[in-house]
Amino acid sequence: MENLVNPKLRDELKKFGVQDWEGCYHCGQCTANCPLTEQGQLFPRKDIRSMQMGLKKTLAGSLEPWLCYYCGDCSKECPRNANPGEMMMALRRYLTSVYDWTGISKLIYNSKIAEFALIFIIAALVLILSIIYSQVPDRSLWITPEGGVAINQFFPVEYVHFGDMVMFVLLAGLLISNIVNMYFKVIVNQGIKVHFINYFTEFWALIWNFISQKKFSKCDSKPYWYVHLFLVTAYVTLFVMVVAFLTWFQTDTIYAWYHPQRILGYYATLGLFAGTLYFIYQRSRKTKENSKHSHYTDWTFIVLLFLSTLSGILVHVFRINGMALATYYIYIAHLMILTPMLMIEVPFSKWSHLAYRPFAIYFARLKKAAENKQKEANMEATYKLKESIA
Amino acid sequence: MEEYRIGVYICWCGTNIAMMVDVEAVVEEIKKLPNVTIAKDYKYMCSDPGQDLIVKDIKEHHLNRIVVAACSPRMHEPTFRKALENAGLNPYFFEMANIREQVSWVHTDRIEATRKAKGLVAGAVKRVVHHKALNKRYVDIHPATLIIGAGVAGMSAALEIADSGQKVHLVEQCNQLGGMVRKVDLNYPYLNSSRQTISQLIKNTEEHPDIQIYTESKIDKISGYIGNFRALLSNHQEQRELEFGNILIATGLKSFDPSIIENYGYKRIPNVITSADFEKMLYSGLIHCENGKEPGNIAIIHCVGSRNENYHPYCSRTCCMTALKYINQISSAAPECNIYDIYADMRAIGKDCEELYASTSKKNVMFLMFDQQHDLPVIKQNGNGKTVSIEFTELLSGESIHIQANMVVLMTAVESQANNKEIAHLAGISTDKNGFFIEKHPKLDPVATTTEGVYIAGTCQSPKDIPDSIVQAKAAAARILATIAKGKVQVEVTTAQVNEDICCGCQCCASVCPYSAISYNEDKKVSEVNEILCKGCGTCASACPSGAIVSKHFTDNQILSQITGVLEMQIETA
Repeated sequence: MENLVNPKLRDELKKFGVQDWEGCYHCGQCTANCPLTEQGQLFPRKDIRSMQMGLKKTLAGSLEPWLCYYCGDCSKECPRNANPGEMMMALRRYLTSVYDWTGISKLIYNSKIAEFALIFIIAALVLILSIIYSQVPDRSLWITPEGGVAINQFFPVEYVHFGDMVMFVLLAGLLISNIVNMYFKVIVNQGIKVHFINYFTEFWALIWNFISQKKFSKCDSKPYWYVHLFLVTAYVTLFVMVVAFLTWFQTDTIYAWYHPQRILGYYATLGLFAGTLYFIYQRSRKTKENSKHSHYTDWTFIVLLFLSTLSGILVHVFRINGMALATYYIYIAHLMILTPMLMIEVPFSKWSHLAYRPFAIYFARLKKAAENKQKEANMEATYKLKESIA
Repeated sequence: MEEYRIGVYICWCGTNIAMMVDVEAVVEEIKKLPNVTIAKDYKYMCSDPGQDLIVKDIKEHHLNRIVVAACSPRMHEPTFRKALENAGLNPYFFEMANIREQVSWVHTDRIEATRKAKGLVAGAVKRVVHHKALNKRYVDIHPATLIIGAGVAGMSAALEIADSGQKVHLVEQCNQLGGMVRKVDLNYPYLNSSRQTISQLIKNTEEHPDIQIYTESKIDKISGYIGNFRALLSNHQEQRELEFGNILIATGLKSFDPSIIENYGYKRIPNVITSADFEKMLYSGLIHCENGKEPGNIAIIHCVGSRNENYHPYCSRTCCMTALKYINQISSAAPECNIYDIYADMRAIGKDCEELYASTSKKNVMFLMFDQQHDLPVIKQNGNGKTVSIEFTELLSGESIHIQANMVVLMTAVESQANNKEIAHLAGISTDKNGFFIEKHPKLDPVATTTEGVYIAGTCQSPKDIPDSIVQAKAAAARILATIAKGKVQVEVTTAQVNEDICCGCQCCASVCPYSAISYNEDKKVSEVNEILCKGCGTCASACPSGAIVSKHFTDNQILSQITGVLEMQIETA
């Protein structure tokens, strides 16, 4: 049945990090303060109301949580300390599980044990594959004829690259299917009729927002945005190099420091390292609104990302210093952290926002275009009616 | 013939009058009038120096009539009358012209305003010579008190009065004391037992030697006036007469019947019950549906019959907090039960009530807001017969929603007792448009009525909770005890008077008198005015076809000469 009030949803949402249900009495201060909310996309108050009432369908169709970048102004100004910012964050976690058709996301968000078990299973799988495919007992590989560490022969780069591609296809498939699911929930099920041409005309907004994080920049906390942008560019750079150009990026030959391979690598590493450290620091200090409340999945994400970066750095340091065995071990460890991190975070958990946020902006624009079209049609109909009466 | 020596004082009222009225020109014009001995203007006539000016002039110039042109007489007529008294003059040898509210505040043309002021003052001058000396009158107070209604208000007042050693007649129409509170299980905000609270009060009342209780009794007639009332009281066996000096009405109120609200289907749909029904259920200790099962989902709808022009426009005052009480009681009796509280505005007025709301919101309850004016929820019975669905637009989300519930509790409004009009007529007081008794002044005197010696307390005046009822009851008791302590009370002197030589006995006057102050003397065949009941409103004087009734201080002579004065001055200054 549609729009049935469901008091049980509260218990479900609690697992996603909602602490205080009763705090909000709907004064609307949060919405009035929000730098991002606008006519037709009112948040956070409306979403909080839907959460309180357990309106599943309304929530599933709500794009607003993704349009919020958690500057925390709403929580700061809330006269009841109801924490609207964190409620929106919790709603994003919930929606991530709603879009995910496999149910894994819900499992991760609702059970710490499940999340850690998944991490260990994937890590173990990587370890087994590494043992099978790497050439670790072969002592001749310890030092290449050029004197460097033969990482690409120790664990043949074609295999890694192949694994890379498999993972990429898997991740893309899951993420895309979740986005399609999201599309159905926010556009189709809500009865929004989008004009065909608008799918193309509005597409630039998706690209532009993905690259620029433009919307995010409207939030008040500027340093946060810079750090985040640095992290995003670093991550994208590294992702492209690893997935598309691994054979170029991961060589046994050590180039001079100014070689683009190394420059890009350092840029990405610095971005990831500084970014993750910054976020770990903020979450531990708990002074900013957006870092005060951490769900365990937030910590898993940031710690895994940090460890991936750290192990990557160590691989590099050991390799250029010719420490073969250390390089090989740390390389396997690096893969064992990186793979579960990507497999869990990208399609099922926190990192999925990299896709949901820009797509939400895209869908919101489609919605607006559809509404405008409807308005025009209504006006035309009124005009025609008036004319026929005249 | 008496020589008239009139003193006229024109007030500036700071700039309030002086900015629009040429005060000095008025003085000059008035000086020319006959009988005016002196005319002066002054910044603030009501100030002490202003009043001293009058007193001094009366003594020096042997003035015997005073006119003050200033503000509305409502506030300062008593002030100036007092000044006349201080100078040894009868206070009724005084007339006030209102040149502030009726002139300076409402006009924009200074010349015309001045002209109007001159006219009003001239009218007052012309009138004041016809004023007669009137003297204060007092009546003795009978020390007993009649209290109608033995609810929490009636009993509290009775104990207060009786504890000071005065006799109380406590009349109750039911067979036991306690009123509405007796029907309530727990009371908010502390959720303690009403039964305990009320039983102590009942016990003290019943055992008090100075309180005479008459249960299952009704009052047939009240006659007399402040200090000297009589009432006829009857029960099924006998009729008796009581004598007392003051009356306290504390008749309480009753529940509204929601079956006229189509949307809610009360009495038509099973498991839709009123708060009174639910209270009984709580009292019995078992919350159950009609099939005997414990409900898993209970909806509570607020403002049923309240705050809606189609039913009652007022707020019933206690239902919001009672609903919160229910939520607490339901969640302790059935912790798994989902509660939907469908409210219009959560009115948590009163000590610790907001705190009750805050703690209740932590229970297993969902607060949903509806529009009590235009969009009442619709309750429909579901096919299974076990549940009902409630549909409405939730205001905070703007969504059209529906709820499945096993039981719906309607927080019904309270309304005035059906026989309030009758009681009002007996006691000579009035009811408002909702049937509640009208107090003398909504802010300054909320326990007295327009009839001297008749007081109101508790929910018969307006819906209120237990503490507020008791506060009002005890305030009324204090007022009554004050009159008893004084032993006598001053009464109105500007009353109506019948000229028995002219009166033809048609009794037109008696039929229009709003204070039941006129009675018919069968022996003399004329109407008689009870000067203690009379408020001097003048209705009878204008109704009398033969001009036999005169309103003291508002005689035809006085009014006509005032009009003449105004018109003459208007012609002169035209």
